[in-house]
Amino acid sequence: MKKKMIFSDFFKNNGVVMGTLLIGLVSFWLIFLIILPQLSMLDYSFRFNLPPAEVGGPKDVYTLSNYEHLIYGSDSTHQTYNTVDLKVFVRTIIAAMLVTIFNIFLCYPLAYFLGQSKGSGFVRLLVVLLIIPYWINEILRAFALRIIFGDSGLLNEALMFLHLTSEPIDFIRQDIALYAGLGYAYILLMLFPMYNVIESLDRNQIEAARDMGASWVHIHRRIVIPHAKPGIVSGATMVFMLSAGALAAPQILGGPSSLWFTQLVYQWFNDSLNWQQGAAYAIVLLASTIIIVLTVMKIFKVNMGDIGK
Amino acid sequence: MSSGVAVDLENITIRFGDFTAVRDANVSINGGDFFSFLGPSGCGKTTILRAVSGFLEPSEGRVLIGGNDMAGIGPNKRPTALIFQNLALFPLMKVWENISFSMEVAGASAAERRKRADELLDMIALGGQGDKLPSELSGGQKQRVAIARALCANPDVLLLDEPLSALDLKLRQHMRTELREIQKRVGITFIYITHDQGEALTMSDNVAVMKAGVIDQIDTGHNIYDDPSTPFVASFVGENNVFRGKVKSISGNEAVVTTNRSGDLLSRITPAQVGNLKVGDDAMMFIRPEALELAPTDADSKTTITANVINEEFEGNSFSVFLEGDGGKMIKMSVPNLGQDHISARGENLSLRYDASNAVTMPAGELASE
Amino acid sequence: MSSANLIRVALGAYLLIFFSYLLGPLVVMSLTAFNSSSFPTVSPWACFSYEWFDVLFNDKHIRDGIYYSIVIGIGTVILSVSMGLAASIVLTQVWPKLRSTYYTMIIAPILIPGVVLGISTLVFWDRAGAFFGATDGSFLYGLFHNGIFLTILGQSSFIASYAMLVFVARLQRFDTDLTEAALDLGATHTQAFRKILLPFMRPAIASASVLAFLASFENYNTTTFTIIDYKTLTTVLAQKVRLGINPSISSLAFIIIVLTIFAALAFEAANRNKEHKLAVKKGKASERKSGILPSFMTGNPAAILLVLLAFVVIVMVGTAQKYSPETCKIEVREAKQIAIQQRIEQLKEARRLKDEAKAATQSDAPAAPTTAAPKNSGAFGNVFAPTNLSDEDDAAPKAAPKDGNGAFGNVFDPNNLNSE
Ligand SMILES: Nc1ncnc2c1ncn2[C@@H]1O[C@H](COP(=O)(O)OP(=O)(O)O)[C@@H](O)[C@H]1O
Ligand SMILES: [Mg+2]
Repeated sequence: MKKKMIFSDFFKNNGVVMGTLLIGLVSFWLIFLIILPQLSMLDYSFRFNLPPAEVGGPKDVYTLSNYEHLIYGSDSTHQTYNTVDLKVFVRTIIAAMLVTIFNIFLCYPLAYFLGQSKGSGFVRLLVVLLIIPYWINEILRAFALRIIFGDSGLLNEALMFLHLTSEPIDFIRQDIALYAGLGYAYILLMLFPMYNVIESLDRNQIEAARDMGASWVHIHRRIVIPHAKPGIVSGATMVFMLSAGALAAPQILGGPSSLWFTQLVYQWFNDSLNWQQGAAYAIVLLASTIIIVLTVMKIFKVNMGDIGK
Repeated sequence: MSSGVAVDLENITIRFGDFTAVRDANVSINGGDFFSFLGPSGCGKTTILRAVSGFLEPSEGRVLIGGNDMAGIGPNKRPTALIFQNLALFPLMKVWENISFSMEVAGASAAERRKRADELLDMIALGGQGDKLPSELSGGQKQRVAIARALCANPDVLLLDEPLSALDLKLRQHMRTELREIQKRVGITFIYITHDQGEALTMSDNVAVMKAGVIDQIDTGHNIYDDPSTPFVASFVGENNVFRGKVKSISGNEAVVTTNRSGDLLSRITPAQVGNLKVGDDAMMFIRPEALELAPTDADSKTTITANVINEEFEGNSFSVFLEGDGGKMIKMSVPNLGQDHISARGENLSLRYDASNAVTMPAGELASE
Repeated sequence: MSSANLIRVALGAYLLIFFSYLLGPLVVMSLTAFNSSSFPTVSPWACFSYEWFDVLFNDKHIRDGIYYSIVIGIGTVILSVSMGLAASIVLTQVWPKLRSTYYTMIIAPILIPGVVLGISTLVFWDRAGAFFGATDGSFLYGLFHNGIFLTILGQSSFIASYAMLVFVARLQRFDTDLTEAALDLGATHTQAFRKILLPFMRPAIASASVLAFLASFENYNTTTFTIIDYKTLTTVLAQKVRLGINPSISSLAFIIIVLTIFAALAFEAANRNKEHKLAVKKGKASERKSGILPSFMTGNPAAILLVLLAFVVIVMVGTAQKYSPETCKIEVREAKQIAIQQRIEQLKEARRLKDEAKAATQSDAPAAPTTAAPKNSGAFGNVFAPTNLSDEDDAAPKAAPKDGNGAFGNVFDPNNLNSE
């Protein structure tokens, strides 16, 4: 009854033509581009990878085998664990967290500096400088780091020139390039939300606190950080989700052994052509990252409305 | 130009969820009248206006315009034009485009529209300013553009939602006269909303006073001021001294009230409540500050009050004297400035009298909060 | 040193580190575009050369990739901007209790990993095809397995959320009384939308479109799954970078960086100009005196930088028509040849000595392997084999036709952007 009223109000406020257009576009987006695709991927992840002839046949039943594969590998007796894939999974999640934390610390001072020194020409120049790498292709940014971290890259040349090392260091095999690349890739998604909230902080609050004798650390702990919390969590959420879901950086900067979880998904899809298995891995990635993000948001008492500000 | 279309609200109730914003309003507005709704902020004035213009349907009751039931007819189909509280001029359109917008959506040619807009601009004394943007006009000019825009649609009824509230005092007083003149010239029905009693009383043929969704009184401005029908109206419209007490005796349309702190006082029973008031009822008696004067020594004790002067304020055309009667009763008296230096000295004990016909009594009820 | 100075120095050092981290790699990458060395590097520096631009412009995969990226970008802009706009308008009207649920739903795609969006799009439309009974070769089957169609849908599913955020910000400043005023004056809902809301939203639509196009253009994670047998610029690049890197990619990056700087400066300059005009109007600043510089530029550092940058680019393109690194390259090659010859001589000598020593003990030993490696075409796997060094310089460039017009010779050839 109430629902019906909402709908009739909606059409009354927007007219039939506009109302239908609005509802139509939003429904198409939510239903056909988000909900149904996610559901069909979920459904797929519980199915066997059958040849086309057998799809819909007696063998086409639901199964947990795709998920079991992540835990136990191809060992059907479940005696041994799929240590390779599990390790990759754990490493992906932990590394994404570390990248996020690294970005928070790296960005906070700059966000504070930019946010509190309003509008000078120098600050505007810095902002323009920040925007430029923001719009350079992700692949190209990874490529740039590969040039620097390569065997005969700038960094190794410099280190050898300074006699800090005699042999080139294999940054790529050591995963250093990968972590630097992930930190590099999404750093601005951390900086901008932080900058936006800090900019909205009234300078007088800081001055009042200083006037009352608060120390520099105290001002940040009690005034700036609490105010910036939604921006920090919003940025951290984005960086974490994007790092955990990154594909380009690990493909370009990862050493041969260091597989990122998305790379496993990619391999199931494009190399093994086992979409069902790939879907199961994708679901695991999606579910675990969302659970982590929701937990963090709960702990820091930030809600969804703050994301994307 | 069409003129004189009547508007009738029959038993209108408007609810938002569980909250009733307007309760059982019955109003009939004569064609060609300047009619005002007066009430404190949040009492449901805008809500009533939106029901007339068609932005919301009343939960109960009917809106009739020119005798036609408006149920199910959208705002763009009603013969009304609304002037919004914040004017709602289209910021990206030039002044003339704003004024002739109703013709634009009806498909009139640019030349036609321009011509009509220029006529209206002349009427509102803004000739030659049609190519400006609204942001380039002053507050009063914007006000007049909003009126011209509404009139351009040739409405039968013009609805105005506190249109002067954003203007400064001088301009507001000037626009009052101007609005009244425009209304006389075009001859259509104006329904005007305000929380400012001065506006309502000066411009309107009739005023409806509202309190928390309920209409307390509909009458001419004069009657509302002199014969308020409820304590709310008496205390909301103009200033009033209120004396609470019990009815001691009634004779004809006069009553003696035993007030809580000022003894027995004689007054008129307000016309709407004659017959509703019985001996022994809780009553309220109202005396306006300007109805009080200094009493000669032989004055009738039923129309005199004694009090000590606390303070005196000079208001230009009058003095306001604040006094404290028996039991701490606060009383305000207003004395016209006829060249005296002052009326009284602080602490002086005064006897005040009034004419019984200038005081009204009615059953006790809710007062307008300060 | 006072503590204020200390803080200033620390801040300066921090800014330097931050911006080096952010911009350093891009600068280095840009420089490698001009080094004739076939591996993207700045040291050792071989010759200043434009040849990698030549290679780039003659790369059919890249040209096709750009074409498809633009097609997909346009489709994504249209779809995601309209969905984002509709979603933001609905957000302003949705019933308060549903509001946060609804907001979570339309913001969620930003947080779903792109890989997941790509996969789910692929899987769903494959399913949808099966559901409609579309058989191989039918129109629906073709559509639901068309990389361009799927990529537009996959990208729009989350780019619409970005667009929505832009619109929500603007809509917050929209006065809904304006729409009501239009309706009151007799406009239909569609007219009110077209004449009132749409003009108000126009700046937001413009910025959302630019944002959506850029996001689509650079998307990789979703596209790599949904594109199937087409290639966008990003997927081409990814493939190239994974298979083996060469400086023609740097030259592409350089072009993109220059374009980005150009756009950023133009935007900043326009903004400043507008602000200044506003200030003049309000009487807070004086009208600029038009001296030698046009008024647009005076007191507008962004505008001055913009003009300088344009000048530098023109000079570069101009010199590229004439400049030829051939002499330098020959010198470098000769120098290398000599060095390598010496190396080879040394190796030969060493081996001869060894062989002799071996022969002394084992007279029937097999013949020593030849030192001449097969001429390879520059895959970077064995670039570092010493025997290969002599081929390094001309391996990739030779693949490109040299028509003597200089590096930018056929940049302006209209056929360049067509897909073949
Ligand atoms: N759309 C609405 N939903 C819920 N409550 C409303 C709505 N519009 C108005 N109200 C409530 O109705 C009452 C009357 O509002 P209004 O008519 O705007 O008062 P005013 O007399 O100041 O114009 C107020 O308490 C207001 O909060
Ligand atoms: Mg109101």
